[in-house]
Amino acid sequence: MNNVAIPILALGLIAGAFAVFSVAIASITGPKRYNRARVDAYECGIEPTPQPMGGGRIPVKYYLTAMLFIVFDIEIVFLYPWAVSFDSLGIFGLFEMFLFSASVLVVYAYVWRRGGLEWD
Amino acid sequence: MELNNFILLSAILFSIGAVGVLVRRNAIVVFMSVEMMLNAANLAFVTFAKANGSIDGQVIAFFVMVVAAAEVVVGLSIIVSIFRTRRTASIDEASLLKF
Amino acid sequence: MSSALIADITAPSVNYYMLAPILIVLGGAVLSVLVEAFYPRESRRSAQIALVLTTLVVAFLAVLNIKVDAILGFTIVNSLAIDGVSVFLQGLIILSALVGALLISENRIDPLGDAFAAQSSALPGSEDELAFTERGWYQTEIWSLFLFSVGGMLIFPIANDLLTLFVALEVMSLPLYLLVGMARRRRLLSQEAALKYFVLGAFSSAFMLYGSALVYGFANSVELGDIAKALSASAANSNLMLVGGIFILIGLLFKVGAAPFHQWTPDVYQGAPTAITAFMSAGTKVAAFGALLRVFYVALSGLAWDLSAVLWAIAIITMLVGTIIGVAQSDIKRMLAYSSIAHAGFLLLGVIAQSKAALDGSLFYLAGYAFTSLGAFAVVSLVRDASGEANHLGQWAGLGKRSPVIASVFTLFLLALAGIPLTSGFVGKFAVFAAAYEKGLAPLVVVAVIASAIAGFFYVRVIVLMFFTDASGDEVSVVVPSFATAAAITITAVVTIVLGVIPQPVFDLLSNALFLK
Repeated sequence: MNNVAIPILALGLIAGAFAVFSVAIASITGPKRYNRARVDAYECGIEPTPQPMGGGRIPVKYYLTAMLFIVFDIEIVFLYPWAVSFDSLGIFGLFEMFLFSASVLVVYAYVWRRGGLEWD
Repeated sequence: MELNNFILLSAILFSIGAVGVLVRRNAIVVFMSVEMMLNAANLAFVTFAKANGSIDGQVIAFFVMVVAAAEVVVGLSIIVSIFRTRRTASIDEASLLKF
Repeated sequence: MSSALIADITAPSVNYYMLAPILIVLGGAVLSVLVEAFYPRESRRSAQIALVLTTLVVAFLAVLNIKVDAILGFTIVNSLAIDGVSVFLQGLIILSALVGALLISENRIDPLGDAFAAQSSALPGSEDELAFTERGWYQTEIWSLFLFSVGGMLIFPIANDLLTLFVALEVMSLPLYLLVGMARRRRLLSQEAALKYFVLGAFSSAFMLYGSALVYGFANSVELGDIAKALSASAANSNLMLVGGIFILIGLLFKVGAAPFHQWTPDVYQGAPTAITAFMSAGTKVAAFGALLRVFYVALSGLAWDLSAVLWAIAIITMLVGTIIGVAQSDIKRMLAYSSIAHAGFLLLGVIAQSKAALDGSLFYLAGYAFTSLGAFAVVSLVRDASGEANHLGQWAGLGKRSPVIASVFTLFLLALAGIPLTSGFVGKFAVFAAAYEKGLAPLVVVAVIASAIAGFFYVRVIVLMFFTDASGDEVSVVVPSFATAAAITITAVVTIVLGVIPQPVFDLLSNALFLK
């Protein structure tokens, strides 16, 4: 049990050290300029999405996107057990997983063709 | 680790969910309570899998998660369509159909 | 430890021959999603109808192709059981779905189009809705949902483990929740029915899942056969198993509409588009009773003694609630819903009795009820006034004078529901009651006979209303339907009579119907 935990622990330590190191080195060596973009929430440089204030409502298109995300995201869960036991399942497992992905793709085609992916 | 504690926790979560469905009035909260019941069942499955040394329970948990996601999508679409019509998500307001 | 378990995993053997009906229906459903994606709007509806009907016919041929004597067995790591009962129920479900599809395809009755909203995402009463309706759009996704639901129904009664049972239950129910909420007329009512059905359905399936978890903890397996073995091996029944078994039964009893889990039935039957009501009253009932019979006969028979008090109480309450509250109804769809609750109560006698005769009787009863119920709701969809269907009983007064044919056909269905001789309803009821009596369930049979008599009253009341009462003055007309609905009503009426007059061929068919344990 111990020898399994050690690499994971080591990975965690390295990752933590890297994060601390990057932030520290940036604040020490980087130039210090302050503007509005710096204090906004980080959204890849684009304008942050307006938040509804005082009980305002979020547009329904967010709901559609969120639902699509949940449905497609959760299907991945079946890939993990298959990947773990790939060797013992062999060609049968590969074929079944191909079929499974194809049927997910069919739904994707439906969403795409019917405009579910268009934002406006 | 005492596995009984996990079973107890899952029973408590399930009961909170069941009571939530029965007493809360907001459709979204009722719906969250149902999801809690499903997850309580997941916890029980995984615990029993650990206790019995079989892998079935863990695999079942995956399936339950997927089914729960599908249920979320269907349920929310029904709730949203009702909300857009009536501007409320209260279960009590939905009372056109009565004995 | 976990790596050792993973090494045990091998590719399962899949018997595609035995699974053909399910694979065909689900494959058709996937194709139907592709039709939605790539066909232009104008040709979508006809393409979908052609696809659905072809799929169902081919699936039925695949069911006929399964030789019950030659090939019986489990497949996909024992998760599905193909036995005499499975083959019979699958055939029955596909035939009900075919009749249901004919009813759903109807677009002549309503001058605006079919029974479904032109765009169910448009707000009821909004400008958008009006515009979509005027353009004559159809919501063709109903066909994909319909086929997925049929696929779930085909798996539900043949599931041999609790996980497959749960997944099949959801595949069957989730599309139905949506279909219930998509009516063209009275949309608020329809959406509300969908919400109620969904919340209560999700609640009960959560109970079933938690029950499965407890049973898994007790038996260390979710396979029905293993559970039965674990039950017989343990000297004293554990509370884990008892509570788990009861939770599973709650989930299944909800789906069959047994009291006290019946509250959704009248609301959903009333609010849903009538074609969907017809389809689910037949398909869901058959699939859910199939699953209930299998779980009870195969897995829980060791618990029969512990559960008998609970089941007796549920059967009695169901029969009485269905008939007594049914008498007070003034809406024809709600009345038929309470009648379906009462029938669930009668069928529970077959579940409790646990004998080959009771099983045969229950299966025959289901076959008769499925077609009668489909036919009755099909007739309900034809009687209309200016605002849509005329569901109030008062509006049916004097119908026999204006449309004697439709009134007579409806009378036939009502007599079958009441269990009058020479109809399928009588044979089914008689077979179930006789089997229950043989197993010493005389008190239950007495209650059932009394309940049948009370139920007979409200069926006869409608007949009297149609033929011997003068019209109240409401403008109600019987619409001449297209070929599809006419065919559906004819088929169901013929089946109702034929099963009542010559039931023996079906019972011969059922001689092979046993559960594989």
